[in-house]
Amino acid sequence: MAVSSLNSTHEAVHARYQEVDSLYRETRDIRLLGFVLFLVSDVVLFSMFIFAYLYLRNSVPNWPPINKDGVQLPRFDLAFACINSCVLFGSGATMHFAMESWKHLKKADFNLWMIATIVLGVMFLGGQAYEYNHVPLTWAGSTMGGSFFTLTGMHGFHVFIGVIYLITLFIQANRGVYTGSKYFGLTAGTLYWHFVDVIWVALFYLFYLL
Amino acid sequence: MAAATFEKGIAFVLAIIVGGTTSFQLYKDWASTGLDNQVTKLLLGLMAFGCILVLLACFGILGAG
Repeated sequence: MAVSSLNSTHEAVHARYQEVDSLYRETRDIRLLGFVLFLVSDVVLFSMFIFAYLYLRNSVPNWPPINKDGVQLPRFDLAFACINSCVLFGSGATMHFAMESWKHLKKADFNLWMIATIVLGVMFLGGQAYEYNHVPLTWAGSTMGGSFFTLTGMHGFHVFIGVIYLITLFIQANRGVYTGSKYFGLTAGTLYWHFVDVIWVALFYLFYLL
Repeated sequence: MAAATFEKGIAFVLAIIVGGTTSFQLYKDWASTGLDNQVTKLLLGLMAFGCILVLLACFGILGAG
C-alpha cells in the first residue's frame, strides 16, 4: 500500500516536471521572438535618429560645419574613440564567453566573464563621460553637437541600462534562478549586450570615420 | 600627435585581439541553429566588422584625425 502510494506520488511529480518543462520550452520561443522584436523596434528608433543626422549633415556644404559664431568645428578624437570602441566590442566577446560557460555548466568561469563584461561596460561609459567633458561642442551650439550628444547619449543610456541588466542577471544566476537547461534571461541579456555593441559600430562609423 | 599614434597603437592591438576572438567564436558557432543562435551569429559578425573598421582607422585608411 505504502509502495503504491509512493509510486503514484513519483509519477505525479514526474508528470508535473514534464508539464513545466514543456511549458518552459513553448513559452521560451514566444519570449525569444518577443525579445528579438523589441531589438528590432530599437533598431527602428536608432535608425530614425541616424537618418535625421544624415539629413542634417547633407544639408550643409561642409562637415564638420561652422557654428553660429562662425568658427569651424573640429573633427572628433578618432584615436580615443578607437580604444573606447574596442573596450565595448571586447565586452561583447566576454559576454559571449560568459554565456558559453553557463551552457557548459562552468559557473566559476561564468562569474569571471560576467564581471569582466560589467567592468568593460563601465569603462566604456567612463570613456564616453571623458569624451563629453573634452569635446569642444555643446548640445545647442550646432547641429553637429546636437546630433552627437543625442545619438551617443541615447546609446550610452542603453549601455547604462545594459550594465544594470547584467548586474541583475549576475545576482539572479548566483541565487539559482537559472539552471543548466533554463536560462532564457541570460540569453536575452547576451542578445541585448551584443545589440548595444552593434549599434556602436554604426555610430562609430557615422561620427568618427565618415 | 604622438599621443594619438600611441592611442591608435593600443586600439590596433585591442582590435586584433577582440576581432580575432569574435571571428573565431563566429566560426565555432557557425553550424548552430535556432533563432537565438542565428541572431547571436549576426551580431558577432557585425562586431567583427566593427573591429575591421577600427583597424582601418588605425592605419589611416578610414577617418581623419
